[in-house]
Amino acid sequence: MGCIKRLLPGSMFNLLTCLLLAFEALAEGAVLTGTDEEAQLPFWEWRDEVMSVRLVQRLPDQTRAFFTARGFDKSQAELIAQSCIFQTVYKNIATTSNPAVIEYDLTQWKVIYKGEARSLKIKEVWREEWEKAKVPQPAQIAFFWAILPTQQRYEPQDYNWGMTSYNLPPGAKFDLEMVWRQDGVYRTGFVRNLECAPDEEIDPKIPLS
Amino acid sequence: MRDLSLFIACLMLLMPVPAVYADKSQPLHSVTGTPIAPDFSLQDTEGKRHALQDYRGKVVIVNFWATWCPPCRYELPSMERAYQRLKDAGVEMLAINVGEDADTIFTFTADYPVTFPLLMDRDSKVINDYPVMGLPTTYVIDNKGRLVYRAIGTREWDDAALVQKILDLKK
Repeated sequence: MGCIKRLLPGSMFNLLTCLLLAFEALAEGAVLTGTDEEAQLPFWEWRDEVMSVRLVQRLPDQTRAFFTARGFDKSQAELIAQSCIFQTVYKNIATTSNPAVIEYDLTQWKVIYKGEARSLKIKEVWREEWEKAKVPQPAQIAFFWAILPTQQRYEPQDYNWGMTSYNLPPGAKFDLEMVWRQDGVYRTGFVRNLECAPDEEIDPKIPLS
Repeated sequence: MRDLSLFIACLMLLMPVPAVYADKSQPLHSVTGTPIAPDFSLQDTEGKRHALQDYRGKVVIVNFWATWCPPCRYELPSMERAYQRLKDAGVEMLAINVGEDADTIFTFTADYPVTFPLLMDRDSKVINDYPVMGLPTTYVIDNKGRLVYRAIGTREWDDAALVQKILDLKK
């Protein structure tokens, strides 16, 4: 750093210091936000050099349509649609030359809403409800596999897409505390100010994934 | 100006290359303990029954998928390209659809044509017998019937190194 300082005027040195600090923060995990190119909906993404978790809003209308098409009745599809669903892409982005193993358990994650910590609504909890309601088997199977696995272990380049549900009303804002193990060591990351999609009707002319 | 060039050069050296762009490898991960693959007998979309034990002595790629699963759709074309390279070497590929019926799969294949068998696990019994947590998941079974490799999520199945790794199982 000293040699760089001698080469650069003071303001440039300060700029370089800022940039280095920014990269250090990225190594600890950065949160990116924007519009998901494919879904054309807002996303929040936690990322470091080993793991990325992208949460993309799902509109309640999308969720209603998806589950109605797979055998859920209107009230059941409505219940899912009103539960704050995010499409979640969870990846191990470590390289094979510098590998790392990621393990997570969604029951350890916390949803912080209005100052209170709650749990995600995991697929096993949903399954109990669907069994009680005698939801047709094909619909239950589609639901079970469409939801992000509750536990998973990812080696480099492994990933899943799946829905996560937060049991919050449309438009609710919350923070998410994520817990995982990287090569056996527990780590924690936060995504703040996530926002459940509002319940608005979709223009039928706009194609949705 | 020279100082500025040096500054930019230093900055470029310090910039980490994001892992996602740096690594284009298509890894197959070893399965711990290489357990024997659970047997199954399932119908394909044309009504033909396939039992895993019928393929004993061959290397078999078993992929679990569904039509509504976006990453499953992404990898089907590269699976077909890989199959065209592997089938003459005696490697089999079986794609097991989870929970859907023949009509749904048939309609889907208009957009995603493949020539390997598409089997139907209508009641999800077979996927539950395998160590699968999410879709897509793919296992490579060696010629002794053991689960040797696993991939969670998509791969470019026609990647040369990946194809070679599968062909090496025949040695």
